[in-house]
Amino acid sequence: MSMKLETRFQHEYLEEFEDGECIFEEGDTGRDLFIIQLGSVQIRKKTTSKEIEMTIFNKGDFFGDMALLQSLPRYAAAYAVGKTRLLILKPAGFLLKIRRDPTFAFEMLQQLSYRVKLSNDRLLELINRHQIPVDEVQKLLKTIGGGHTNDEGKPQ
Amino acid sequence: MITSIQTDRLVVISDLHLGNPFSNAKKKVIPFLKWAAAEKFDLCINGDGLEIAQASFAKIAFEVPEFFRVLGEFKRAGREVYYITGNHDIALEHFLEDWGVMKVAPFLNVQSGATRVRIEHGHIYDPFFVKYPVLYEHLTQFAGLLLKVNPGLYKLWISFEKWSSYRRAKKSGIVGERPHFREAAEELSRRGFDSIVFGHTHHAGHKQLDNGSYYFNTGSWMLTPFYAKIENGSVSLEEWKEPARLRRSP
Repeated sequence: MSMKLETRFQHEYLEEFEDGECIFEEGDTGRDLFIIQLGSVQIRKKTTSKEIEMTIFNKGDFFGDMALLQSLPRYAAAYAVGKTRLLILKPAGFLLKIRRDPTFAFEMLQQLSYRVKLSNDRLLELINRHQIPVDEVQKLLKTIGGGHTNDEGKPQ
Repeated sequence: MITSIQTDRLVVISDLHLGNPFSNAKKKVIPFLKWAAAEKFDLCINGDGLEIAQASFAKIAFEVPEFFRVLGEFKRAGREVYYITGNHDIALEHFLEDWGVMKVAPFLNVQSGATRVRIEHGHIYDPFFVKYPVLYEHLTQFAGLLLKVNPGLYKLWISFEKWSSYRRAKKSGIVGERPHFREAAEELSRRGFDSIVFGHTHHAGHKQLDNGSYYFNTGSWMLTPFYAKIENGSVSLEEWKEPARLRRSP
């Protein structure tokens, strides 16, 4: 059973979770951002055949950024590993947090940049392994690189 | 850019202001660096190691060759040197990086054992620096001129800061500092840092924060040579006293 600990600002609070407890489910509509103060968090994603572990986040890491920044439903589920304490930022508190703690924005960009590179590397590895045609690869990379493309993969 | 490291042994110093005619830090810091390299510590210079805001490049070029030679001893001992930029040396950022002796960063997140430590110069939490950056720069240059007239004015200013903040700091922070630095440390600690180490204010000290984390300031080697020692997850603030065996060596 999770426990709300304290509220320092209106848009920011601490919450504790027991081992294995669900923080949010895949598809949930929450918009909060989570920073791990204590413990770890496992991120799990459903596939057509089974649920897979995508990653483990540790003390100091953040997660939930996709829902916050893009207003998307939760892309994957999050579960506490061991006793876990989270600093939870509500969307309205995000900019205030950056104002009080500007290096948080720097670290967030750094981690997001790292995750993009990791995704690209994994994709390229798959492409090489399965020898996908060059045209298909370029179409994919343009999409991943943030370029807006239409249904045929051409820049708009 | 590296901002996260793991280490079992690290010493942190700040605010040497080498190149500033009023900095007498070099004669104290050289033996310290030799000792730290011999003891196989990594080194972090937490901002304002060199002075370009109040001194010329020629002064730095005259002052630092011995300093850089000693930094080479860390490499030879298989240890690392990290340099965090401050407000008096930020113009030298790329120059320092290209030198290749050290890794330059805006801040460091250090994992030592189970402990997470944030090391940052701290000038971005200085309300005057943030609100009036142009005025701050002009006043820094003007202060440099005043110090040419009388270097003693600097110590007078530090004493004034201590006196004016004494009653407030006894409760809320390190004596001499404005409360913004403790508040910034508190904010960082909420992101899972067990200790936070700043420089910039030239007021050395430490304080336990409300949530149990610790805030350290390593002060300035222009005043008293303090350093933060991070060893297998334990963080402490120490004053450098030259060991006798080092004093005797030529």
